[in-house]
Amino acid sequence: MNHMINKEELKNQIILALNLEGMQPADIDDAAPLFGEGLGLDSIDALELLMVMDKNYGIKFANKEESKAVLASIDTMAEYIDNHRTK
Amino acid sequence: MIQLIADHIITPLGEGTENNLNAVLRGESCLRLHNEVHGEPVPEPFVGSLFEHLPQRQGFTPFESLCIAVAEPAIKQAGVDVSAADCIFIISTTKGNIWTSPADSARKIATFFGNNSTPVVVSTACTSGVTAQLTAYRLLSRSKYKTAVIIGCDVQTLFVVSGFQSFKALSPNPCKPFDAERDGLNAGEAAAAMILQQTDSPFSASAEHPWTLLGGSVHNDANHISGPSRTAEGSMRCLNDACELLLPDNLACISVHGTGTMYNDEMEALAIHRAGLEDVPVSGLKGIYGHAMGAAGLMETILTIHALNRGIILPTIGFSKQGTTYAVNLSAKPRTTEKHAFIKLLSGFGGVNAAVAWSRETVSEQSATTTLDNSCSIRIVNEIHISQQNDINNLYRSLGVNYPKFFKMDSLCRLGFVATELLLKECGDEIDVENTALILANHSASIQNDTAYQATIADPHSFFPSPALFVYTLPNIVAGELAIRHHLFGETSFYILEKETDLQPIIDATICSPDINSAIVGWLECTDKTHYEAHLKFVSKTND
Repeated sequence: MNHMINKEELKNQIILALNLEGMQPADIDDAAPLFGEGLGLDSIDALELLMVMDKNYGIKFANKEESKAVLASIDTMAEYIDNHRTK
Repeated sequence: MIQLIADHIITPLGEGTENNLNAVLRGESCLRLHNEVHGEPVPEPFVGSLFEHLPQRQGFTPFESLCIAVAEPAIKQAGVDVSAADCIFIISTTKGNIWTSPADSARKIATFFGNNSTPVVVSTACTSGVTAQLTAYRLLSRSKYKTAVIIGCDVQTLFVVSGFQSFKALSPNPCKPFDAERDGLNAGEAAAAMILQQTDSPFSASAEHPWTLLGGSVHNDANHISGPSRTAEGSMRCLNDACELLLPDNLACISVHGTGTMYNDEMEALAIHRAGLEDVPVSGLKGIYGHAMGAAGLMETILTIHALNRGIILPTIGFSKQGTTYAVNLSAKPRTTEKHAFIKLLSGFGGVNAAVAWSRETVSEQSATTTLDNSCSIRIVNEIHISQQNDINNLYRSLGVNYPKFFKMDSLCRLGFVATELLLKECGDEIDVENTALILANHSASIQNDTAYQATIADPHSFFPSPALFVYTLPNIVAGELAIRHHLFGETSFYILEKETDLQPIIDATICSPDINSAIVGWLECTDKTHYEAHLKFVSKTND
């Protein structure tokens, strides 16, 4: 893929989609887990992140298990987007 | 005592309770693949049980027309004067109308039948059909009303189907309740009506087999607004309460929710296990009708009653192999029984669970009297009023509370959150988390958030239904958010009414429930981000 995803842009999309009021991209660690500890996101947030992937990058997941690994952190999301984006 | 004197159901399988029961026992179903909902194309096909044609009465929406169509035969069969001042209409629906307040529809329906009493709309997500029975039970026991016409109805729309799809909750196949291979629910639509009457004698009801509604309860999981509790807190409490209303030896079956999603069925099986009811036969109808939302609770209650009249426990179609951590007593085939009491159990978004108990006892200690407190009055502990002069986000910031989830909530929930924080500021320590109820109401349901969700599906070329918005398209979610915030396992109910004063008789009757000692009650209205009003009271019960 000739243009790698800008992680700051991805973080901004996540902050916007999840209404993370007052949070800045710099507050989200690239490697930290998004769920449970870390940002403390829940199952509805996970579904909302799947929509971010679909809407902005044309990525759909066939099953939950696959998406779970991808949504683990900013790093895993960015890597998957670089390899699978259709837009 | 509160008795069933007539009922009627209309489903895609056919019209009439007995016709539907025969079809169910023949193993019929209307679940099939659809590419559209009543003419609206759906980008991703889904399996559902839908009407080929919805009734369309002039001057009424399809939802209102279906409500009238199902109530008319029941009223005729009951032979009661529903225009009398002691008769009330109670409607159970989730999204029967989206852009018209269900309270306005309820008024049109009541007026159609010549009834001038103030109608009540119960809006507690998927538990609405059971909560509506409980509301009727309480109002008939502790208000001026003697007869209740309860109508449960929902029609499917792109709005609802796309929302469930965004939640990845729909199965691509006919659903398999409690089965090891279950993978989601099916959309359904139906209408059901029952007429309940307060009678002094078990023999005064006109029905051949008089069934008595013994009461019930509502409990919140205080855990999550969409996910079922992993510990089945609310559902287990509802089952425990229902068991106290029955003679255990009479319990023929539990009619469960059984949606066919991984989490719901696991939770219900755990609730049954925790309540010590694993040997009691269980049955669920979603494998035939899909999830008929606001109609489900009434339809499933009525079909269970008619099946038990024939000595039959309904089959759970779609089930073949136990797929829950704790096994439940299920069968895909009809079973026979000589017992004549059952529990109807449901769960829904907002962490809400509800159960009612029914019995065909002719004379018993249990059914002879109501289980509600005889007389009780209400003491107002605190009261709060917020109008649109107050900016909600600023009010939140001034509270000095750190609750990051606040900013994910829709406007109605933010309003309820801030109002409740202010209300409980001085009485927080007094709250009894097991026995405090939330009884809330408004006129516009979740209209502000419905508009926001609609914007995510309006353009077929940019069709991205938002799950975070969809979950707030039910007004009772605010009660769920407040239960989570304050760890409340008590009742969480939401009503859609014409005006605030219409809530008072419901509060007065609800507070007589033996499991309720105090309550957060009141009006939470939000028509858009700049038009809102909250008037909440924290009340406690004083037994006279």
